[in-house]
Amino acid sequence: MEQIGYINNPPNQANLDAIFSALADPTRRAILSRLTEGEASVQELAQPFEMSQPAVSKHLKVLERAGLVERDIDQQRRPARLKAENMAIAADWLETYKKFWAKSFDQLDGILEEMKHNND
Amino acid sequence: MTSLPTFTMERVFNAPRDLVWKAWTDPELLARWYGPGVETVIHEFDLKVGGVWRNEMRMKGKDGSPMSDFSLMTFTKVDPKTNIDFELASTDQNWTPQPSQMMPDWPRLFDTKFVFEDDGAQTKVTITQVPLNATDAEIACFAGMVDHMGHGWGAGFNVIADILAELQD
Repeated sequence: MEQIGYINNPPNQANLDAIFSALADPTRRAILSRLTEGEASVQELAQPFEMSQPAVSKHLKVLERAGLVERDIDQQRRPARLKAENMAIAADWLETYKKFWAKSFDQLDGILEEMKHNND
Repeated sequence: MTSLPTFTMERVFNAPRDLVWKAWTDPELLARWYGPGVETVIHEFDLKVGGVWRNEMRMKGKDGSPMSDFSLMTFTKVDPKTNIDFELASTDQNWTPQPSQMMPDWPRLFDTKFVFEDDGAQTKVTITQVPLNATDAEIACFAGMVDHMGHGWGAGFNVIADILAELQD
């Protein structure tokens, strides 16, 4: 029988709320989208968003803290790139939360069918 | 007042409203469907305003040992066959509210509403959940989640899904 994922498989707990808070912002989601095409510097990221580089840097810091993005320390342009594993954690958890009600409602469906037959 | 992040889910059941109401309000039936694939034990169920529902979900931990998830619901509105509202709190085994084991900034308390409506010969049930007495951090955390889940898995979730798909290439 299927079990609740978030109990069976606790993700990196300290990170998860940071991940969701980081993802709540549309600009940060757009930055993540852009990074799926490959690593990019702050300058490259700033261009399409018509944002200042300091503003982009700020968003990147939030994403870095949430563990969604990492940056090279030793290179001049410090390109940012995605860290996939934490994305997967967030996706798993969302799936679990949605599943709680979806699966419960499936079970309710089954019981209602049973009740209808018993009423006949 | 600014609106709080709200989780909503709708479902149409192929059964008359009387039956859906019964399946919801008879604790024996409720225990059979509430909780995804877990053993649900209802320790108390007093369906009236101010009454409580003490719920335990029993499951197995990662190492196979049994563990339970406890929650305490306090009913705030009960209109037969129309509305059930309750405050849902995650608790320890003594029914004392506690922060989520899962996320430090997850709201401790949710205002949960169920609406039952006729939909032809079927019944539409809508659930909404809003954080209650939440801190800004808790609201931000829940908003981040709802942003992905709500609106039929909105833009945020698509970003995650796209990213995961690309990374699997």
